[in-house]
Amino acid sequence: MSDLDKHIEQLRACRPIPEAQVREVCYKARELLIEEGNVVGVDAPVTICGDIHGQFHDLMELFRVGGDVPDTNYLFMGDFVDRGFYSLESFLLLLCLKVRYPDRITLIRGNHESRQITTVYGFYDECLRKYGSANVWRYCCEVFDYLALGALVSGAATDLEPTDSSFAAEPSQTQNSMSEDQAEWEIEVLNSTGQVMNRYPRVRTQNEFSQLSNPPSSPGQSPSRSGPPGSGASSSAKGSSGNSGGAVLCVHGGLSPLIDSIDKIRLLDRKQEVPHEGAMCDLLWSDPDEIDGWGLSPRGAGFLFGADIVKCFNHKNDLSLICRAHQLVMEGFKEMFDSSIVTVWSAPNYCYRCGNVAAILELGEDGSNAGYSARGNGDANRSQGVLQPKDQERALGPGRRYRVFEAAPQDSRGMPAKKPVADYFL
Amino acid sequence: MASIPNLNTLRTGRGGPRLRGSRRGGRGASSLGDDASDSADVASKDRIIQSTDYDASSSRLSALELGYLTDPYAKAFLKPGEQIPRRYPIINRGTYVRSTAIDKLVLRFLQAEPGIRKQIISLGAGSDTRYLRIVGDHAGQDGVVYHELDFETNVAAKKAVIERSPALADRLQKMKDGGCSYHLHSVDLRDLPSSLPGIETDLPTLILSECCLCYMPPEQATTAVKYFNDRITSPIGLVIYEPVRPFDAFGRTMVSNLASRGIHMQTLKRYSSLDAQRQRLKMAGFDKQGARDVHQIWETDAWVSEAERERVERLEWLDEVEEWQLLASHYCIAWGWKGQTFDSAWGGIEGARTSAEDRDDELG
Repeated sequence: MSDLDKHIEQLRACRPIPEAQVREVCYKARELLIEEGNVVGVDAPVTICGDIHGQFHDLMELFRVGGDVPDTNYLFMGDFVDRGFYSLESFLLLLCLKVRYPDRITLIRGNHESRQITTVYGFYDECLRKYGSANVWRYCCEVFDYLALGALVSGAATDLEPTDSSFAAEPSQTQNSMSEDQAEWEIEVLNSTGQVMNRYPRVRTQNEFSQLSNPPSSPGQSPSRSGPPGSGASSSAKGSSGNSGGAVLCVHGGLSPLIDSIDKIRLLDRKQEVPHEGAMCDLLWSDPDEIDGWGLSPRGAGFLFGADIVKCFNHKNDLSLICRAHQLVMEGFKEMFDSSIVTVWSAPNYCYRCGNVAAILELGEDGSNAGYSARGNGDANRSQGVLQPKDQERALGPGRRYRVFEAAPQDSRGMPAKKPVADYFL
Repeated sequence: MASIPNLNTLRTGRGGPRLRGSRRGGRGASSLGDDASDSADVASKDRIIQSTDYDASSSRLSALELGYLTDPYAKAFLKPGEQIPRRYPIINRGTYVRSTAIDKLVLRFLQAEPGIRKQIISLGAGSDTRYLRIVGDHAGQDGVVYHELDFETNVAAKKAVIERSPALADRLQKMKDGGCSYHLHSVDLRDLPSSLPGIETDLPTLILSECCLCYMPPEQATTAVKYFNDRITSPIGLVIYEPVRPFDAFGRTMVSNLASRGIHMQTLKRYSSLDAQRQRLKMAGFDKQGARDVHQIWETDAWVSEAERERVERLEWLDEVEEWQLLASHYCIAWGWKGQTFDSAWGGIEGARTSAEDRDDELG
């Protein structure tokens, strides 16, 4: 067994590895990461994960639900550290997996992968507590500076191969609105044991698929908003309509008023501490919101951006979806703006306090290329100052399978010396 | 829990045998619930409730240290050699809102009908410094009668701090010379004596419960409020700060997390929403009522001015916006009153139900 495999084994048991080994792993990781572009290319199939925040036992639960590395190809959208009690073990495990299986796991930077934020939100203190010095924190911060800012997933299937597992509860009407053989499933929501909680067919507009004898009604009405009783997940998925495939941009926060094309992200000099403002800061800090255009963020960094911004960006860059993390969503995931952007949140019962469920997003591989024609390259960068009329092509969203899971049960934590106790006002 | 004798039999009337005579406290703990076991159990639960004062005071010190609040007296409560703990930004902000909002209600009371002597009774005051800060600066010529009621342990600790701090003792003396009187009572709110020394029943009186009544069994919390309501013949007001909304995902988690620390907020499910708090005040005989959650207070200019909000936002980078909204919407300030003094003090403060509360109805 190689040293690296030993480290992985030790970290999987939630035990930190010695400082000298951390240094070595961080060095190797940097060598790998420096070769990656600001926007990493990732081929589907891939499982996309949101914030982890040092909730090690819940990360183990995530691997249990989503499959292990290297069997499953993972993309983590940052915020590995801070807030939880095991930032160190969580980040080092992910980093060791990255070094061990560089092509099976992609790590991009979150706003918490920063010197300034980690001194406020816990990772610095944790390193100090576990090693007696700030060296390990320093090694990790150097790795943070090399993490990519985004990832571009290509080759994702537009329809889902439905899982043959059973429904967790009585299927809602939506699922019956289309007979199985007709169905082209766009969204499937599974619980942590793989049972189907909800499934939504792709909604096509009349002029695109007039041969559909039984087109479902408008996207907004079609899927039920709530999951089965007790499922704990009310789906915020609405389904998208469109007719051509596109790539999926993954970024921790969101868009920037300084960035109108993916190529502009590629031009940034990322190898630095996250700045307080500017394009790199915005990508890690911004949030989508129900506004027009751009707005000020209550976080004090980044911006708020509306549906028009997302649709325009996606169209211009031939994207079918933006996938981001950064915001706690109680149901684990939340699609917005006609499914042009989705928030994926992977820290269940965040901070041991919020009571939320978590989710991961699986995008399947487009094996057949059927029902899918990629746009020519010429289209990709043509100027699109404003949204086109509605008959204008819109990139067809990928089939999306969300796996929703809850916090790891307390007994699986092996009862840490210091039991996690959240702060309240007393 | 296992079958255990009900302490009711031990602790009914005032004349009956008292549980460990020396052990009388302010912040009520579960002595009468089904889960009460024996005197040792009650004592240990009482100790847990007493220890919540440390949560409050250390959070306060953290917020002070970072400039959220100003309080020249709080540091005297640090034990020798004790470090000021650092809390997360959302905790600091919540401490700021809680403290500022209650201060505001107190200040408006003190400033209403100038020239009238007033009285404040603070339940479970612990190491609170409101008397030294706000009253000291705004008592007016006629002075204020101030009472703090708490467990004997907490009162003794406070007296010791005052004794070893010249600054505090000096401030108290000056306030006394200025016509104020300050009373620390070691009492058990579950078992109040027929009269408390120094209470002047004919003064306009403000009762404060900053996370205090919520630890008591609901009936005893009601009785404690009634105790003062029955005795005070002048205008009377009550300010309550405590958690709400225990039934949603965040609230359920809060209840179970606190239970794992041995803390049971016994009134929480009964007064689960802002409207339930208003109803509670109404039933207790307060003609007018208002309630807001901490998140609403933070976002309302009348409570926290825009300039002040910007100042606080600049103190720390608060990334956890969603978590702040969750946490802050699970704490409320409710106020109720009867009488002219409070009409002029609080009449202009918006506290009626808003449409945002509609979702509370679904959760019961």
